[in-house]
Order: sequence, then structure tokens, then C-alpha cells
Amino acid sequence: MRRDSIQRRLIASVLLSQIILTAGLVVIGVLVTYWRLISTLDTSMQAHAISVAVLVRYTEDASGHVYFDNSLLPESIDPNHPDQFTVWADRTGFLTRSEDWPEGLQFQPGPTEHWNFTWAGVPYHALRITHVPVLDREEGAAFRPQTLTIVYASPTVRIRHQVKVAGASIALASLLLLGATTWLASWKIRRGLLPLQILARQAALVSTQSWKLQPPKEAEEIEELRPLTESMTQMLARLEYSFKQQREFVGNAAHELKTPVAVLKSTLQSLLQRPRSSEEYRAGVQASLQDLDRLEQLLQWMLRLARAEQWAQNAQGRNLEVIDINCTCEEAVERIRSLAQSRNTTIHLATNGPVPIRADPEDLQLVWTNLLENAVRYSPEGASVEVAVAHDGDRARISFQDHGFGIAASDLPKIFERFYRGDRSRSRATGGFGLGLPIVKALVEAYGGSIAAESTPGKGTRMTVELPVSR
Amino acid sequence: MRVLVVEDELRLAENVARSLRESAGYAVDIAADGQEGLFLAESNPYDVVLLDLMLPKLDGMELLGRIRQSGQHTPVLVLTARDDKESVVALLNAGADDYLTKPFDLGELLARTKALIRRGKGQPSPVVVIGDLELNTVNRTVQRGGKAITLTAMEYRVLEYLVHRPRAVVSKTELLEHLYDYNWEKFSNVIEVYISGLRRKLNQGSSRQLIRTLRGQGYMLQD
Repeated sequence: MRRDSIQRRLIASVLLSQIILTAGLVVIGVLVTYWRLISTLDTSMQAHAISVAVLVRYTEDASGHVYFDNSLLPESIDPNHPDQFTVWADRTGFLTRSEDWPEGLQFQPGPTEHWNFTWAGVPYHALRITHVPVLDREEGAAFRPQTLTIVYASPTVRIRHQVKVAGASIALASLLLLGATTWLASWKIRRGLLPLQILARQAALVSTQSWKLQPPKEAEEIEELRPLTESMTQMLARLEYSFKQQREFVGNAAHELKTPVAVLKSTLQSLLQRPRSSEEYRAGVQASLQDLDRLEQLLQWMLRLARAEQWAQNAQGRNLEVIDINCTCEEAVERIRSLAQSRNTTIHLATNGPVPIRADPEDLQLVWTNLLENAVRYSPEGASVEVAVAHDGDRARISFQDHGFGIAASDLPKIFERFYRGDRSRSRATGGFGLGLPIVKALVEAYGGSIAAESTPGKGTRMTVELPVSR
Repeated sequence: MRVLVVEDELRLAENVARSLRESAGYAVDIAADGQEGLFLAESNPYDVVLLDLMLPKLDGMELLGRIRQSGQHTPVLVLTARDDKESVVALLNAGADDYLTKPFDLGELLARTKALIRRGKGQPSPVVVIGDLELNTVNRTVQRGGKAITLTAMEYRVLEYLVHRPRAVVSKTELLEHLYDYNWEKFSNVIEVYISGLRRKLNQGSSRQLIRTLRGQGYMLQD
């Protein structure tokens, strides 16, 4: 693949415009010079033609005939190239012509007054004038005067040479200037593009250790580079955030996995420390299986969170149908029923007409079951949990009120953080990993909603989910 | 020797305790949270404390700080899931003597625990020699004058403790406190039984008495 270069392109366009300019200058210079020389020539030729015309005289008689007195012929305009002329009288016809009139050259007096021709390799400029010789006898007024037609031609060899010289000198000067300006332009362009290179060098310093892009002063001063540096800085900030979040999650996940692995390892190692009875081995294997179950559960929760976050990123791209929130709530209550029964908890679901939403029913059920499970687990036996679905304008509000232990005010802002557990000993008893609420939050936010928690320790907790309703 | 294990993951604590009891013959107490750990550490003279960092009720680092503030010299081995430099530096600076990252090897835990106890008692070598008595703490064997002596588990534990406090008066209460865990009924007369058994076995083929009885005060191991 051929690489394109801004520098090359700019230099090429400068060069091209300079060449066009040079060519235009040469053409215009040549034309102007030619026109000016020709018009000068025209003036002298006019004078010369009249000088020839005044040499035509009337005869002494009253016949009105004319004759040519060639004693006072004007000199040629170009001494090296003789001028030519020919004279006609309207009544008597051909009168005279120059001495060295080229053999075979014929002119029919035509309508035009200026023209060019070439005869025997010599270029000529010709003009035609008419003239009436003045009578120098008073009595001669009796006859009709004759009208003369004079064609005067002058070789344009010298003019052509002058035009060529002028054209060549303009071209030469322009070429010299063109070289100089092209060199200047390319130098300026290279210098102008330098901030881009400095910026690239700065961008190359960005790494996962140092996310800061220090836009060089040279680049900041350039208007065209500002959108680039700004969007780069913003992009880096976003990347840094998600990278840090990812790394934090990996760190936390590793940390969470270490404890069950340590338990499992110690169980197996202590089994092997000395010969044991088959009952002891059996107990050890069973304990190991329990530890493995816990590990497996933790992995499942992590996968669920990863999936929820993946969904959250392309929720818009999914082709979803409109469903009723009430139905998903009923389904979730049904799913949690056995747990609720085992803890003697009653769940009250209050609905008020269908609430349509464009969502995946599985996602919503996962949200409701997580919240219900928390409400049931963190409540004493025999307590009740109230679920209410309300429709308020274009928002649906779903609240989960329990009468459980509540959450300490210091823990409340942290409950949506991954792996956060308010009280580790209690969460161990209830089997939590600190991932349920982060999953709920990710899913709710994927649908453009929000979740809030209020709690009074000892009295209970209320979780409120707000979701945009479909129309 | 008596060890305190402060660890909220009950199964891990029990595995560690079982390993210490079976392989080293130590008395082990388990605390499941930081508050219990602090109470036990303050009310009993442990020879080493194995401390988890992530604890309910009272954080491991705070517990460590409290133990050191109260002026206890008990060696502390921290069991942590974090092995980044910053947290290791922080916990050593907080007064920990050593650390192990989870998941750890029980054999390594045992070796480090023994090493900490030895150093805590100013006895860096795993083989303690007092006069013609030689006690190997690694494979738990005893020799006197080049001759191997077979001891019961309890006799060995008494001798091991005495050997680590040579030429010092060790009371019966001290022996009881370091040889039995919290759940044990402590009767001082069992100590007398073990001491007399020890004397009998150690004096075979030697006329010199190793364990002296100081009436009303306790026992002293002399060379």
C-alpha cells in the first residue's frame, strides 16, 4: 500500500499552483509584449503608409490621373528587413509597389485593415489605409479626385524575436522564483507539521502506568490540533477509568478467590499430613466438596455480573419486546417462595394496573429476585416484605420494603460496590459474596433506570428502583 | 507451646489448628473475629499469634496495633490475601513479624510458626543443646549424651517449653498456660506427673539432675 503524506500533498499542491501561475505569467507576458510591440508597429506603419500616400500626385492635366513620385520614399521601419507597400487608385487601378516586392505576392484589397501573413518564410504584419491626395491646383476642382488604397506590410521578425526574449526571461525568472518559493513552502510545511510529530511522541508515552497525555505547547497553540488533543485526552480519561475499574475488579476477584482456595488447600493438606481413618478421609472429602461448591457459586456470581455489565453496554442494540413489569414481579415472587416459606416470611405484592416496559423479562426477574432474596435473608424469621409497583408519569417505581436488620448509615453508600459486605460474619452465614447489588445496579442502569436505598438499622430497608416506562 | 489463630473462615482456622496440634504438638486457640482475638491475646500468654487481616468486628491491622500497643512481645504471623508490596510493608511496619499469603502451604505455615517461636525465645537454632541434652524441634526428637530418649507427646511439650527457657524459673501456672488451650481444665498436679516422668527418662544413664525443683516457685532446666 502506498502511503499518502500530508506534507507531500501540500508541497505538490503548492508546486502545481506555482506552475500554473508561472505558465499564466509567461502567456500573459508574451501576449502583452506582443500586443504592445504590434500596436507600436501599427502606429509607425500608419505613418509610413501616409508618407507613401503623399507621394502620389495628380498629373498636370485635367484627366485626374495620378502618378507616384518615388523620390522621397520613407525608410523601412526595420532597417534589416525592408517594408513592402502597394498602392491602388480606385479609378485607374494598380499604381505602384515597393521595389523589392516579393515575386508572386498578390493582395486583393479586402475588408480587413490589419492582418498577418508569411511570405517566403518572412512573417509580415500588414495594414490597409485609404487616402485621397490633396489637389494643389485650384482650377483642378473640375475633376473627381481619386481614392487611393495603400497596403503597407512590415516584417515582424524583430518583434517576434523580442517577444521570444521577453517570454524566455519571464519564464526563467518565474522558474527561479518557483524553485525558491517551493523550497520555502516545503520548509514551512515541514515546520508547520512539527507539532503533529511532537504530539505523536507525547502520545507514545501514554501507557497503562501513566495515562496522562501532556499535549505539547506547540500543539495546543494550533487551532486545527485542538480537537484532536481534546478528543485524545477525553478518550484516555475514559480508557483509564474502565481500565482501572477492570483492574480493580480483577484484583478484588483474585482476593475473593484466594480465601476459598486457601480453605480447600489447607483441608486437603491436613488430610495428607498423617495416615487417617477412612471416616476422617470421608469427612475431609466432604468438606472439600463444600468448599468447592462455594468457589463455584462465587464464580457463577462473577460471571453473572460480567454478563449484566455486558448487557448494560449494548442494551440499546437488543431487539426487545414490551412486557408488563407486574408479570416479572409475580414471577420473581414465585421464584423466591420456597426461601420465603423456609424463613416463614410473607411477601405482599401491590400492583396498580399494567406497567409496560421494553425489556428482557429475564433481566428484570433477576433484579427482583436479588432484591427479594436480600430482603428475606436480612430479615428475622416471620417478618414480612412489601413490594409495590407504581406508575408515575413516564417512570415506573418499584419498591421493596423489609422489616429486617437494616443497613448502617456508614455502609449505605457502599452497598452497590462490588464485593462489599457490611458485616462479613453475617454475610458468610447468608452466603453472600457482595455481588448481588452490583448486578442489580448494572441491569437497572442498562435500562436507563436508577436504584436507591434507604435504611433504618433495626427497622428495615427500602430499595426503590425507577425505570423509564415504554409508551 | 500455645498458639492463637485469629481467622474468620472457620474451616481454614480448624485446618490450621489441627495441623499445629498434630505436627507440632502445640496447644491452639481459635478466635473467629477480631474482638475475640483481642480478648484471648490479652488474657493468655501465647507463644505465637497467627492473624488473618480481614476480620469482622475488629480489623486484623487494628488488632495487631492493639497487641503491640499493650507491649506484648508475642510474635505475630499475618495470614493475608494481599501480596502487594504496599500492604506487606504496612503490616510489617504495624508490628507483624512475618506474613504468609493465602492460599498458603500448611508445611510452610508450620515451619514459619516454629521459627517465630524459636526467635521469640531467643533461640534461633532448630536444634537446642543444653549441656549434654539435645532437643530437635523439627522432627521432635530428644537425645541425652548421644542416646535417643523416647518421650510421650505431653512430656515432649513440657521439655520443649523448658528448653526454650533455660536457667529460668518456670512456674506450674506458666507451664499450664503454655501447654493447654483455652478449653482445657487446668490442674497443676498433671504437671508434676509429667515432670517426674521426664526426670526418670532423662536420668537414665546419667547421674546429674537436669530439672531442678524450686519449692513453691517452679522448675528450672540447668546444664
